Amino acid sequence: MPRRLPLRACTALSAAVLIAAWLVLTWGGYVRDLFLPPPGELWDGFMDLLTDGYRNRTLLEHLEASLWRIFAGFVTGAVAGTLLGLAMGYWRAVEAIFTPYIEFLRPLPQLAYLLLLIIWFGIGETSKIILLFLAALPVSAVAARDGVRNVPLQRIHAARSLGASEWQIFRHVILPSALPEIFTGARIAVGVVYGTLIAAEIIAGSSGLGWMILDAGRFLRSDYVFVGIILIGLMGLALNWALVALETRVVHWAGR
Amino acid sequence: MTEITISAHRRTLLKAGIGLGGAALLSAVPRRVRAATPDKINIAFFTETSPSAIAKGEGWLEDVTKAKINWIEVGSGAEINTAIAAGSVDIGVGIGSAPTAAGLSQSIGYQVIYIRDNIGPAEELTVRTAANIKKPSDLIGKKVGVPFGSTSHFRLLGFLKTNGLTQKQVTVLDLRSDALVAAWQRGDIDAAYVWAPAKSKILAAGGEVFRTYDKLEKAGYVIADLIVARTAFAEAYPDTVVAILKAENRALDVWTSTPDKAADIIGKQAGVTADVAKADLLEYDFVAPKRQLEANWLGTPGHVGRFAEVLQGTAKFLAEQKSIRTVPDLSVFQKGINTVPLTKSIA
Repeated sequence: MPRRLPLRACTALSAAVLIAAWLVLTWGGYVRDLFLPPPGELWDGFMDLLTDGYRNRTLLEHLEASLWRIFAGFVTGAVAGTLLGLAMGYWRAVEAIFTPYIEFLRPLPQLAYLLLLIIWFGIGETSKIILLFLAALPVSAVAARDGVRNVPLQRIHAARSLGASEWQIFRHVILPSALPEIFTGARIAVGVVYGTLIAAEIIAGSSGLGWMILDAGRFLRSDYVFVGIILIGLMGLALNWALVALETRVVHWAGR
Repeated sequence: MTEITISAHRRTLLKAGIGLGGAALLSAVPRRVRAATPDKINIAFFTETSPSAIAKGEGWLEDVTKAKINWIEVGSGAEINTAIAAGSVDIGVGIGSAPTAAGLSQSIGYQVIYIRDNIGPAEELTVRTAANIKKPSDLIGKKVGVPFGSTSHFRLLGFLKTNGLTQKQVTVLDLRSDALVAAWQRGDIDAAYVWAPAKSKILAAGGEVFRTYDKLEKAGYVIADLIVARTAFAEAYPDTVVAILKAENRALDVWTSTPDKAADIIGKQAGVTADVAKADLLEYDFVAPKRQLEANWLGTPGHVGRFAEVLQGTAKFLAEQKSIRTVPDLSVFQKGINTVPLTKSIA
């Protein structure tokens, strides 16, 4: 048996192969810049965006606009979803009332009701954030509900026989036991919100990274499209890391 | 846009991806010796009030080409550019001159084979009557909706530029025509630059025309709707392309000779009443095939007309806007116009 390659080396190797393929394909002239821009063009595009911005807004402003929407949509959606999910897990009646809507909303493609949101809430920030809110809500709700439902009954019984009140049971037994699942739900919700960003920014766009990618794509400015994709991808990674860090701090006992 | 991304199936993309230069746009049709007719033709079209809708609605293209026609509805010329670059559209009907100028500048392998109409007043600025917008500077502080990347967008930006207005003073928002109507009805925007049927709906809901087209045309902002053919397709099936243009000519004849009958058929296709369709159609200057061959427009084989300059002028503006990187020589636009099929279609 050959010795296993260190995992980090595997990651580095995979990145190196991808970059090498990119260099060979573009510099070798196998692919037109329309389909895949070479590194030089990508860099020029990036510098262009940094100095002149895109369509009357600087790159930073586009980044800010997107981050704010993601933050607002995710926080409102995750908080509301978690509260709803906890209630659904705790009271069967609440679950019976909300389950049909949550289950219906969860797989629904956001583009399907995009026009309705425009008609109801206009073309400003409200409709964009509501779209992201609706994307985050069902994911968080389902995670919190399942978290509550999976709390081992013995723990609740033990607490009750020791004389804990219903509130104490919820606060000190159910909530901590459900937290790991709530966090997992939050991380999935960030992914969903992230994926919905472009759909949200279709609504009367003129700002945001998602809109920038969409608009540049219209003229096949693949250099701007790639810069946008790389930025949006890195932003997603950073958000996920932040959540993982928070998770290990708050629910450090999970999995032990 | 989703539809197109899906139809650009992997094999075609891969071929397009690894091909060299012009060969990147290799035809996706099966190889055959002296293949005269294709089995399937992918045609991109808009839902709009134009004679092309007659040829589509009456099934003429299926009849004359003997091929299966795969009709792909698009919402913008940019979608046609993307789809032709990926090799999944063969003919683009009604693509605007602005996206075409962009496409030719980026050497997407296609050629202009027909000028369907000079858009003239058919795409125009509409303003909310209640907002009391009478002169260009009244637009300061207002929101204007327009589908980005379209001929209307090109005209609107030209209007702002020629009147010394900046996009800091006037908010220009990117809205597709259906969303534009919704935003208008809610009162989110006070002006729009768009085509029918969205334009008619806006006018019916408290809007009025703010005329810009005549001055803009004089200033060089001419816009037109064209038919483009993927170069590899046009080279492989020249007779099919001629047959398609013949059907288009015939459709135009129906409109010129029996406008009411034409408006009825077109209205059904576009989802508006015959009266609305007729009113919309009357705003377009449909260019008869013989006129297209004049030096003012496409010209004749070997003597490309002045429309090549219009396309280059449009490309220059798009480059200023940073929508495209560079503007190629006039010769690129001249080579991008192919009048051979049009000449044959009326012979």
